[in-house]
Amino acid sequence: MSGLQSLRLVRVSAVSGRRILAARVLSFIAALAVGAIVLAACGFDPLHLGTQIIKKSLGSRFGLEDLGLLLTPLILTGLAVTVMMKIGLWNIGADGQFYIGAFAATAIGLFVKGPEPFMLLLCFIAGAAGGAVWILVPTLARAYGKVDEIITTLLLNFVALLLVYYVATGPWRDRTTGTVASTGRVPYEMPDFFGSLHWGFVIALIAPVLFGLLLRYTKWGYEIRLTGANPEAAHYAGIPVRRRMITIMLLSGAIAGIAGMLEVTGTVHRLQGGISNNYGYLGVMVAVLARGSPAGVIAGALLMAIILNAGIILQTQGLTTAAVLALTGLIMMFTAVADQFAHYRLVRALPQAAATAAG
Amino acid sequence: MPELAVQNAPAKPIIALEGIGKVFPGVIANADVDFDLRPGEIHALLGENGAGKSTLMNILTGIYRPDSGRILLDGVAQSFNSPVEAIAAGIGMVHQHFKLVRAFTVAENVHLGWKDTPRFASAQVLEARTRELAERYGLAVRPEARIDELSAGEQQRVEILRVLARQARVLILDEPTAVLTPAEARTLFKALRAFRAAGNSVIFISHKLDEVLEISDRVTVLRGGRKVVTEPTANCTTTKLAQLMVGREMVLGGLREAMAPRSEPGRVVISLQNVSAADDRGRAGLIDANLEVRAGEILGIAGVAGNGQRELSEILTGVRKPTSGQILIEGVAVEDPSPSLFLDIGVGHIPEDRLRSGVAPSLSVSDNAVLRAYTEPPIAQGILFKPGAADTLAREIAADAEVTLPSLRTPIRNLSGGNQQRLVARREMRIARLAIVAAYPSRGLDVGAIATLLRYLIDLRNSGVAVVLISEELSELFDVTDRIAVMFKGRVMGLFETQDADLETVGLLMGGQTKQPVVQTVEAA
Repeated sequence: MSGLQSLRLVRVSAVSGRRILAARVLSFIAALAVGAIVLAACGFDPLHLGTQIIKKSLGSRFGLEDLGLLLTPLILTGLAVTVMMKIGLWNIGADGQFYIGAFAATAIGLFVKGPEPFMLLLCFIAGAAGGAVWILVPTLARAYGKVDEIITTLLLNFVALLLVYYVATGPWRDRTTGTVASTGRVPYEMPDFFGSLHWGFVIALIAPVLFGLLLRYTKWGYEIRLTGANPEAAHYAGIPVRRRMITIMLLSGAIAGIAGMLEVTGTVHRLQGGISNNYGYLGVMVAVLARGSPAGVIAGALLMAIILNAGIILQTQGLTTAAVLALTGLIMMFTAVADQFAHYRLVRALPQAAATAAG
Repeated sequence: MPELAVQNAPAKPIIALEGIGKVFPGVIANADVDFDLRPGEIHALLGENGAGKSTLMNILTGIYRPDSGRILLDGVAQSFNSPVEAIAAGIGMVHQHFKLVRAFTVAENVHLGWKDTPRFASAQVLEARTRELAERYGLAVRPEARIDELSAGEQQRVEILRVLARQARVLILDEPTAVLTPAEARTLFKALRAFRAAGNSVIFISHKLDEVLEISDRVTVLRGGRKVVTEPTANCTTTKLAQLMVGREMVLGGLREAMAPRSEPGRVVISLQNVSAADDRGRAGLIDANLEVRAGEILGIAGVAGNGQRELSEILTGVRKPTSGQILIEGVAVEDPSPSLFLDIGVGHIPEDRLRSGVAPSLSVSDNAVLRAYTEPPIAQGILFKPGAADTLAREIAADAEVTLPSLRTPIRNLSGGNQQRLVARREMRIARLAIVAAYPSRGLDVGAIATLLRYLIDLRNSGVAVVLISEELSELFDVTDRIAVMFKGRVMGLFETQDADLETVGLLMGGQTKQPVVQTVEAA
């Protein structure tokens, strides 16, 4: 009716990865700009803080070591969540599986004696098994009872946390140094290769690449992708959907458990209450940033590690924890908004001349 | 028997459609249709699927614009740009697929997007208003219940209440009884008669003959997008309506000639013995089916969609497990039917709802192309999956299907529905060494593509493959099948040699009617 040309936003369903990336870079810059304005308003010099962050996290050997130590658990928990996303399920319990992986590795480390390489392997297996056991009940409930895995995996986090607090402050507490919040030192350590950075970092780098290759180049991987994309079509293709679902969920738990094991044997060397450092929950964010791409997990974890590292540095510059959290949240929010906006395109709306003329 | 509205002279129509035409790419949906609706009548709109009933009503309510013709409302030319404008003028439609917000309560749904909704109102106020409306219109609903918890019949009452609450004079119902139990259908009919008694009008879209005879005052029959006739229901019988609805002329198009003559019946490939199966909601979907699928023949399954065809096609391909009865493949009983077993012996399956079960929409064309072949070389090698080999197969299938692809990496959901259907059809034909079950394979295709597809099914038949063709298009079934089975409410109602079958009988059976009901014969004797 109206001959006016107007601009309209139109949603497109399929968006290229490049477009998403461009939107995210823009959003990251926007988030930093908003953060800088707020910091300046509070009397800080944003430019000075910015250079401090870059210098201290990327420009120094210690900074890079810290980054690597943060990256290791973030990649693995991010991968754990991504693995389950591939089959269309959410693992919100990576934190709990991380704790139990750490718990199981500590138990072996503290109470079994043996040559170091063998013991590390044993701890590794125990960590993986611990994580898998922790997701076993949600897995069976999901596969046989259609119980929502989001709730079950989430709630088990608190059980794992309390269990670790109990053993770390109770039966396993350190009796030599007299600290009350952690167990004694685990005598077996992941060897370091770059300052304090241990070989767990390399394992963490290899794992997503390996999983990506499995997905792309094995029959099993094809079946997982198909089951995740459309379970009904997978059933029709003759795939045992339930069995694949169970394998993937246990694998996801095991990966989070391995993250916990590496944290104990590589970084902290003791089991303590706060050992997960929320890595499990941050893993969900990493997975969301990675948008289901195993290789993207590394990039997502890197961004998250830089943000966390920046947070620590900002605190040394006098910012409160709350302000740091707000900045982190700002970046996450802008990213989420960017992902949505990448789906919209500005088009010139055409007048409905063709339609009205016919009537 | 229909209760005729008391009318001495035909009243001036509320709505008159004159010469309505609508063309979609490749399909003439409506051509030169005249239709009028009088006050105080229930006017049935009868026709097969695809006859143009829904399109006509979507034009009336402003969802589509007509390409030609005009709409008169109370004698004045009028066109609606959206259903909102139509309801403001007193014309409301209840669609086949309900448009309710499932997470909201009945009261909230009734008040949603309604100008009379109080601006600030508590749940109690909305529920009280809804209760009052429900009493006024005699529609029993529970205002505080969430839509999720309601049966289809209850949801339909909410939809009707939504329309009536907005002071509609004209209620359009699209296949309202398709989702109802017989008891719910009776309740609906009661409400419709009450609505008519108040001087309002109903357009009742259906393809069920007995219902049309029971509820309507007049009936308009559409076929192939054109109006066949408008008659007072009192002058009609099921037989007459079935003839009018299905028509006598059939498009043969040389397909019949392409079918190699059979000297004797082929060997039985798949045989069902008293097989029953549950539908997705766990109710009886397929009841006591006995059916033999023979090599070198096309077995047609006629029936209105939703009468057990999905369950039957899934039983014949191992996707659904029977609740009782036996499946025999080449005479051997199958202990534990599974999709992979039927795949291994060479049974192809074009599912009726390809987006739901035939493809994984978010995966690439290439990944979807190998869905039924990924376990075998050259795609698989040991535990390995070879993307290069998958691409090769995808390219071959696309070439066979005459689909040009932007890229093999494109998610298959970016292709048009017709192209997806062609790819799935070709993919399944490749694996159909023994049999193929094609459920509505022509859906979403244009006429030329349908002919090509049917031609391929005939080629498979001629080469000795058993073909099962499930379709709602009787003309299609009469063109290319050797035998036709008719399904109604989960049962196989009859089985005919196509050359001996007549349209009338098949049409009646599809509506659950037999030519001479047994009861009548008994009474006559």
